[in-house]
Formats: sequence, C-alpha cells, structure tokens
Amino acid sequence: MSEPLVVAEQVEMSFAPRGILARGRPVRAVAGVDATVARGEALGVVGESGSGKSTLGRLLLGLLAATGGAVRFDGQALPKPGSAAWRALRARMGIVFQDPFGSLDARRTIGAQVEDGLAIHTNLSAAERRAQLTEMFVRVGLDPQRLGAYPHEFSGGQRQRLGIARALATNPDFLVADEPVSALDVSIQAQVVKLLAELRRDLGLAMLFISHDLPVVRHLCDRVIVMYLGRVMEEGPVAEVFARPSHPYTRALLSATPMLDPARRLTREILPGEPPSPTNPPSGCVFRTRCRHARPECAETVPPLREFGSAAHRVACIRADEIN
Amino acid sequence: MRRLWFPAAIVGLIVLIAALAPLLPLMDPVRQDVANRLAAYVPGSPMGRDEFGRDVMSRLIWGARSSLAVAFASAAIAAVIGTALGLLGGWFRGLVEVLAIRGADVVLCFPPVLLALLVVTLLGPGTGTLILVLSVLYLPGFIRVSFAEVLSARGQDFVEAVRALGARTPRILLRTVLPNIAGPVLVQVSLAVASAVVLESGLSFLGLGVVPPTPSWGLMIRGARATMEQAPMLLLWPCLALTITILAMNLLCDAVRDVADKRGGGGAPKLRLVDRLLPGLFPAPAAPQPLLDVQGLTVEIAVPGGIIRPVDDLGFRLDAGRTLAIVGESGSGKSMAATAIMGLLPPAARVAAGVARLDGEDLLRMPEDARRKLRGGAMAMVFQDPMSSLNPVHRVGDQVAEAIRAHREVPAAQASAEAVALLKRVGIADPERRARAYPHELSGGMRQRVMIAMAIANKPRLLIADEPTTALDVTVQAAILDLLAELRREEGMGLVLITHSLGVVAEVAEDVVVMYAAQVVERGPVDQVFARPLHPYTRALLAAVPDGDAEPEGIPGVVPRPDRWPPGCRFAPRCAFATAACETPPPLEEVQGQAVRCVRWRELSA
Amino acid sequence: MWWLAKRIGLSLLLMWVVATIVFLALHMVPGDPAEMLLSTGGAMPDAYAIQELRERLGLNRPILEQYGAFLLGLTRGDLGTSLVDDYPVAAEIALRLPRTLELIVAGTLLAVAIALPAGTFAAVRQGGAFDRTASALAAVLQAVPVFVLGTLLILVLAQWLRWMPAGGYTPFADDPVRHLVLLSLPAIAVAKGLAATIFRMTRASVLDALSRDHVRTARAKGLTPQRVLRRHVVRNALIPVTTVLGLQMGTLLGGTVLVEYVFNWPGLSTPLLRAVEARDYPMVVGIVITVSGLFLLINLAMDLIYAALDPRITRS
Repeated sequence: MSEPLVVAEQVEMSFAPRGILARGRPVRAVAGVDATVARGEALGVVGESGSGKSTLGRLLLGLLAATGGAVRFDGQALPKPGSAAWRALRARMGIVFQDPFGSLDARRTIGAQVEDGLAIHTNLSAAERRAQLTEMFVRVGLDPQRLGAYPHEFSGGQRQRLGIARALATNPDFLVADEPVSALDVSIQAQVVKLLAELRRDLGLAMLFISHDLPVVRHLCDRVIVMYLGRVMEEGPVAEVFARPSHPYTRALLSATPMLDPARRLTREILPGEPPSPTNPPSGCVFRTRCRHARPECAETVPPLREFGSAAHRVACIRADEIN
Repeated sequence: MRRLWFPAAIVGLIVLIAALAPLLPLMDPVRQDVANRLAAYVPGSPMGRDEFGRDVMSRLIWGARSSLAVAFASAAIAAVIGTALGLLGGWFRGLVEVLAIRGADVVLCFPPVLLALLVVTLLGPGTGTLILVLSVLYLPGFIRVSFAEVLSARGQDFVEAVRALGARTPRILLRTVLPNIAGPVLVQVSLAVASAVVLESGLSFLGLGVVPPTPSWGLMIRGARATMEQAPMLLLWPCLALTITILAMNLLCDAVRDVADKRGGGGAPKLRLVDRLLPGLFPAPAAPQPLLDVQGLTVEIAVPGGIIRPVDDLGFRLDAGRTLAIVGESGSGKSMAATAIMGLLPPAARVAAGVARLDGEDLLRMPEDARRKLRGGAMAMVFQDPMSSLNPVHRVGDQVAEAIRAHREVPAAQASAEAVALLKRVGIADPERRARAYPHELSGGMRQRVMIAMAIANKPRLLIADEPTTALDVTVQAAILDLLAELRREEGMGLVLITHSLGVVAEVAEDVVVMYAAQVVERGPVDQVFARPLHPYTRALLAAVPDGDAEPEGIPGVVPRPDRWPPGCRFAPRCAFATAACETPPPLEEVQGQAVRCVRWRELSA
Repeated sequence: MWWLAKRIGLSLLLMWVVATIVFLALHMVPGDPAEMLLSTGGAMPDAYAIQELRERLGLNRPILEQYGAFLLGLTRGDLGTSLVDDYPVAAEIALRLPRTLELIVAGTLLAVAIALPAGTFAAVRQGGAFDRTASALAAVLQAVPVFVLGTLLILVLAQWLRWMPAGGYTPFADDPVRHLVLLSLPAIAVAKGLAATIFRMTRASVLDALSRDHVRTARAKGLTPQRVLRRHVVRNALIPVTTVLGLQMGTLLGGTVLVEYVFNWPGLSTPLLRAVEARDYPMVVGIVITVSGLFLLINLAMDLIYAALDPRITRS
C-alpha cells in the first residue's frame, strides 16, 4: 500500500486566449489544487460554474495537460496526451459526461460505441467482445438485445447508463463522472446514482464524482472537496463537511441548497455581489469579495488548507477558528 | 423524403442521358450542313438545326455532357482536397489551420468570375482551364465547412469520449468525425456542382469557357443570340435545358441539406386517431373569488397521425399574495400549462377545453387583443433561460422600458428612469450603468433579475415563473427565490412557480400541484402533501430526493410519451402498488383540502 | 474601436494579398509568361515579339524589383498601360467604373427593396398563398442564369413586344429618361439573383427569429404584434441576412460582367472581355484588382452594418 491511485500536486491549468490578435489575460481555471483519490475511494468535487471542477476532472484523467504542478496515476507521472503510453493508459480510466444527448454519437449503434474501448485496447475476437458487451449491458441494467439500436431510441437515463457502460468496458481502475445526473429528472437521478454506487462497490472503482448538487455527493462519496474559482476551499469526509461546514463558502453553498425537510435547513446566507472574473481573480483568498467575514488581511496571502477539527478535514480560511 | 426523390430523379435522368450520349442514336453534334441552316425541322432533327446546320438535339445532349463533366470533375477535386485540408486544419489546428483557412480567405477575396477571367487570360480558354479554376473556386467552401464541422465535433462529448478511450487520431477522424461531417460536405458538393454548371455556362457564353466546336449550352446561347429573331427556339432550347438542370440541382441541394441536417432524430410520434374530447364540465366559481382559477384546462397538439394532449384536465386555484408550485418531471406538461394560461402557446398547440379566470375573467376565451393588454400588465411571466429570453441586440434598460410603455402612456425618458428604478428594485447594483448593458454583458443571475424587473414593471397581480432558477447556480438560485418571495409579499402578487425541484417547492410555496403525464395527480397545501403524500407518485418522487439520510430510491421506468399513455392510471406501469383496478382512469378525488388521483389512496394511506 | 482598427487592418492586408497573388499569377504559369500570352492556338510566336513583350512587361528585370515597382504603382494609382493601344489602364477604369457602380447600386437597391419585405411577409404568413408563390418564384429565379434571363428579356421585351431598346447606353446628362430606361433591364437582371437569395435568407431568418425565446418574452410583455415583429423579429433577423448579402456580392459583381455584355452596357466588362480575348494582361490585372478591391470594401461595409446591428460583435 504505497500512495493513492491518483495524486495531484499543486496542479494548475491556464487557458490562453486564442488567435494572433487576441487580447486579454489567460483564464486560470484551476489554480494550485492538491487532490488524491485512493483505490476504491469516491471523491466528490462540488462547486458552481466557473469553479474549475470539470477542468480538474480532465486534468486527473490526463485529457488536459496541466500547465503547472503534477498528476501521478498509480505512482507514475501522466504521459503526454496523444503519446502511445497515454493511449494505453486510457484503458485504465473512464469518463462519464453530463449531457446524455451530446455524449453519444447519433450516427453509430450503441453496441459499436460501447465496444470501442475493447476494440482499441484488446485483441479479443468479435465474439468475445460481444460476450463482454452483453455482460456489461446487463450490469448497467440495459437490454443486451438492443446492441444494434441507435442512441435516439433511448431515454436520458438509459443513455447515461450507456455512457457508464462505455466508460467501464475496459474495466478501468478510475472513473471520472462529470455531473452525470444533473441533466436527469429526479426519479431517474436516483436510479443512476444507485447504479454508480453499486458499480463502485462491485468493481472496486476509484471515482471522482463532480457535481453541483451537494446532497447527491453526500450519498455517493467518501470524501468531498469544495471548489471556488479554481481553488479548494474545504475538503474532508462527507459526513464531517456536511455536519460541520467550516469555510464560509461551504456554508453559503449548503444554506442555499433547497431542502425538503425544514429541520435540515440552515439559515439562508445570500452571497452579495457577483462572482469575480476568472481572468482577474481577487488577491489572497478568492472568496473574500463575497465573504461576510472578510478582513483586510484576507487580501494579502492565499490561505493554505489547514487541518480543522480532524486530520482529514481541512479548510482554506485564515479565520476558520474565529468564525466557527 | 418525397422532396428529395423528385429532384434527384430529374438530376439523375439528366446525368444518365449525358453519360449515355455516345451510345444514343444521335447525329454528329459538330457536323455542319449549311443547306439546312436554321431549319426548324429536318427528319432526324426534331429540334431543328442551328446557324451552321448542326443538329440541335444532339448538341443539347452533348452540351450537357461537357457541362456536367466540368462541374462534377471540379466539385470532386475541390471536395477531396478541401475536406482533407479542413479536416486536418480543424483537428491539428496550428500551422495547418492557418494555411488552410487563410488560403481559403484569400480565394474568397476574388469575385469568382473575375478570378476565372484572370486565369483564362494567362492559360487561354479550354476545358482544362475551367476545371482548374472551378476547383480552386470551390475549395474554400469545402475547407470552411469541414473545418467548422470538425471544430464543433471536437467540442462534442462523444468525440472526447472516444479520445478518452485512447483511440488513435486516424481512427477518431475516420470513424467518428468524418461520418458526422459527411452531411454538410455532401450539401457542399451539391452546391458546388450546381454553381459550377452556372459558371461554366456563363464563361462559355462569353466565349471564354469551352472552346468551339465542342458543344456547350453557354456557347449555344451565345450563337443563337445573333439569330434570335429568325429562330427564337434556337435560343429557348438551351436556356430551358440550363434552367431546368440548375433548378433541379438547387432543389436537390435544399433537399439534401434538409436530410443532412436531421441528425438521427426519432420518428415523429404516431398514434391512432383518438375520439374527440368531451367538453369539460365547468362548475360555477366558488366565492370568494380567487385571483387565478383554472379548471379543466386541456391543450392539444396535432401531430402526424393524431392528436396529443400535453395538458389534460388541469385545475387549481391561487389566491392573491400566495405561492402555488406546479411540480413535475420533464414531459409532465407543466410549462405548456403556463404558456396556455398566458396565451403564448406555440402555433401548433391549442386550448381544447377549460377555463382560466384571472379575477373572474376567462383568459382562454377573451379576444387576443384584450389578452395582450393583460400580458405584461395584470399578469406577467418569467422564463427559464434568461439568456435566450432576452433580446441580444437591445440594451436591457430599453427592454424593461419597453414593457412599461407597452401598457402605460409615459414619455420615453420617464420610462427609462422607471426602468433604472426597477433594476435597482430587483437588486442590481449600479443600475444606471447596467441599464445600458446588453444581455451578454451580464451574468446569469443578473439577467434573471432583469427578466423579473421586466415582469413586475406594471405591478402585475399574477406572476408565473417557469423554472426561473433551473439554469442558475444554487447560490444564485437562493438569491432569486428570495427576491421572488419578497416581491410577492410586498406587492401582494400571486405567484405560480413551475419547477421540477421538490426542495424549491418545500422552501418557497404554500400550495403544490403535482403533475404526471399531463394530469394533476395530487394537489394541496405543501406541508400537508409533503408530510402525508396520498399518491404513490408523490411518495416515490419524495423518496427519490437525496436530501435525507435514507438512500434515495429511483422510480423504475420512464415517463411515457404523450402518444403512448396507458389507458388507465398513467403512473400504473411504474407504480409499486398497481393492481387490476388501475386499468380504468382514476378520478381526481377531493379530501380535506387535498386532491388525489388514485383508486387505492385510501387503503395505501391507512 | 480596437475591433474597427483590426477589421480595417484586415481589409488592407487582404488587398495586399490580392495584389501579390495577381502579380505572382503571371510568374506561376509554366514556361515563359510572355510566350504564354502570345501563343494562340498552338502557333509558335516569333522570338522578336516575345522579346518585345518581355521588355514591355518588365519581365527582364529581377522579380523583386518588378514586384516593388508594381506595388509602388498601385499605391499611386498607376496600373500600367494596355498592351493593345498603350492607353493607361487607370484612365480606362476611371471612365468605366462609375457606370458599373451605377448598375450594381441600382440592382442591389432593387433587390433589397423587393426581397426584404417579401421575405418577411412570406415568413409571417408561412404556408400561405403569398409564401408559396414567392418561394416558387425565388427558386425559379435562382435557377435562371443571369445571362439567360438577360437574353430572354431582350427577346421578349425588345424583339417581340418592342417596348424597350435591346440595350446600349446614353449618358444621364444627355437624356435622363432614356438613361433610366436603358438602365432598367440590366438592373433587373443584376437584381434577380440577389433578390432570390435575400428573399430565401430573410424568410428563413425571420422564421428562425419568430421561434426564439425572446420573442415569447416580448409577447409576454404585452407588446403589439407589429412592435414585436419590428423590434424583436426583423431587427434580429437582419443580422444573418447582412452576412449573406456580403458574401453574395462576389457573385453579383461577376454576374454584372455578364449583364453588361448582354445589354451592351459600357462598364468595366467591355475592356475586361476585350482584354481577356487579346491577352492584354495589364488591363485584366488592373480591372481584377479594382473589382476585388471594391468587393473587399463592400464586405467591410457589410461587417460594419453587422456590427451596428449586433452588439455582441464589438462589445465582448
């Protein structure tokens, strides 16, 4: 038991504006994030639009090459995208997308699409691939009789199952699920979340679950990191973060989440102002412009993640002790 | 498909005749016979002879051959080279992109005929020159189309999915990208062929294209001009041939484009002609009069093969100053119901039955002009997507002012000032400056505030908000919901909130209507319904919400399509408690301020 | 304003590229360009004539020197002299260009004036009698090549009915009425393709705009249908129409060459076609550069209109 399966150290991603005459600063989507996912562990990443959570997912998969820091998978630094080593590694990682419509090719049969991974990475015969495909379809709750059908014949929930089957066809160790249930109706959401939980347990998958929906993360994940404007605000075991949210942003986020049960509701904290531009983030703590606990010293240095309460629970706020 | 078939047959016929020209029993198209100059009819020449006594019909057919050969050859060359360049440029970007795209831009700087004439000056006229010029001219079209398509395909999740699986670039380009850009490229091919025929004939007409004596339609028209008074038919035949060919090709282009654009869509819903609906029974409104009283609202849409009913017998009442939520999953008909009440149904849909009384006046039966005066006045609506719901080309202040001036005679300056005040009212900081902004310059939350400002501009008594926070982040959602609640309280509006989020309902609404497959399945005060749901669907929906400590449970199956509704209880196929009794349509029963549409509710809640 | 500077800079850059390509075209032909220009129908031109033409075109000088002189001449408006009669190319163009411009402007105005309202009306009454008739007419007009239409107009109106002269030109100052009569048929011919395209584009674009969410918002505000149409449908629909209009101007300029030829309208096409036939390269180059410059200018103007209509272009 050496290090966790996926380790990101101070990983950073800037997108430069394109074109010869393009002006403007680069957008720093992810700014110095540490994250680890152990074998069999599910790590939740929550945040709102512009928090960099999807970019982080693609960095950990190596689909994007980080502009700073390092990502290691199974003890090895991620190879350059497009290289032979990188392509071979694809068999060990999978991705599930948010949009159940755009993520499947409308012009190819679902069987061919789910089979792609096997065709690329194995030397199995067509019959053997077929057998594995059938098994995978049953596993995700789809009818293997319909391998020859096209995506438009399936509902949103079924398409997400297809997306999951495609990602898992090569039996990967690590799965990134990028808002896989956000586009689904609530009655379907629960089906897909349940499927993901089962697969994780049965296959021993390590999973990065990206979501803006806190309650879903709570049910599915072991640990969670909360992101705001490319940085981690808080991280820790889900139970602890949900029971004792310690960063002002986490609290605002939790209080804003509508809850069925009045007993669970926190006092609503409305964030003042507008989210700052990612091309020009505030100095020091990026959340300070909307934080009611902000002090002048918050503008000075980027607050480091510090242990708070327990070893696993860490908060990036210099005033965490005072305000909690 | 019928639109594709007809022009395709004509084009196919023309191509076939042209291709078979050497095999047809035709006279030699270049053999002159001065004795029969301009003869209207000579045995063996049904269309007569031209100014050199050559057979017109034979020249027409051989002319088609040279036109089409030039057109297809140049379109094919341009398609192969252009698509390859566009594909590589779009995939690899960098230098390939710069060369391909800038090269295309440069060709596009020249008006086509002028570029052709320049090359003809240098190389002299002839078929080879024509093919060279035309392929260069159509190259940019193929480069641009395939480049743009590759760029958009690159951004698609399904392409990233294949990349994430570790496929090699050639595999991605050939298996995934090429099939998805094949449609637009095919459209471009048909456009290039049609336009090459036009250009070839034009240049030949000027005497700078095909070299005589090779027959060509353009040359024939050129020659016939001199004798148009003696022999007008000589002019009309090639004109007709050319026009019909181009017309058929253009129609084929349109049809190909239509077919290519349809990306693997599902077949149109088909259903058997169902019996016409019985007119609803409308009980007299009970006193005291509610602000909004909807009864028996039914919306129908005619689709190929029948009629679907996306809203079926909807009823609810809303008192002034209260909030009613309509909750349901996609396809439940909740948004359609709201647009019906506002009189904003899309053209294909119509209200088939029901009443919707605003302060006692039936909105559904009033003349459109009267209803227009109420819209934006006494009743207003906020939509889901604040980006597309604002007009991108007008300043937001003007759009709010416009709402004011639609209902009140106020000078423009005053309306603008009021608009700024409204923006301030809905919590927009620096309203004077924001009023001059365009929608794309605002954040999603601010846009929705602008929509709300517009809606409350004339102090409406009823505000319908259709998924007003679905497109927004949760912290922004909280702020918008707070704003709506505050406005409702302070202005005494009635608020109908349409949402799919039960959490939002629980936090904001007093009464709730739960819809499933176009029908109300349960209705009542929120506290009561959520604490003691009577309908199995409401129960299942609540159990699917991941808020609590219990694992959320999904509902098996999916909402049926509107043309495939089960004959009895529409939820029965997904219901854990369904029995044989559920095969007949259950009525909506009223119990202690709650209403439920389930035959087994009594035993299930016992 | 950065956007505008960038856009104008791009136009100048493209102008330079066009000039360079035209210059290089002569040197890219296989073999000796002078020989190429003199050869007609396979007959071998005599050596003395080739040498003389090389001298005239300056082909004996180093290529960079030729290029420099060519660009310098362009900036001063000097396009060289005709190989046929030594007449300055620029003077010939100065005489002819206004007549071609008049035809283009008249044709464009005619096309826009008819097709914009017709396209809008057809879209608003989609599927109605007007829509079906106008759409069918547009499809037919689009299919009739411009020189076919011109020739047929002459055949019917001039030869058969004798309502109009078959073509020609009278200066406006000499006889304004006859000038306009003579202008009408070529202007119609120039307008036809553009009108058909604008009609189809306007119709499609208005239909698209009608289904937009913001139109529903405008209706939800209680605006009158006329106001919704004017401010929220037509205004938005014009944006894609201007783009198409700009791109179509290239076809229009080319079509004008044919129209002028058919109607004997003494614009740029007369010297152009004569020069192409006589292989008078300096004259062809001069006219191609002028018309391409005109095309770039029109496209610049279209982009400015586009930017004025769509605030998302300049303000993002």
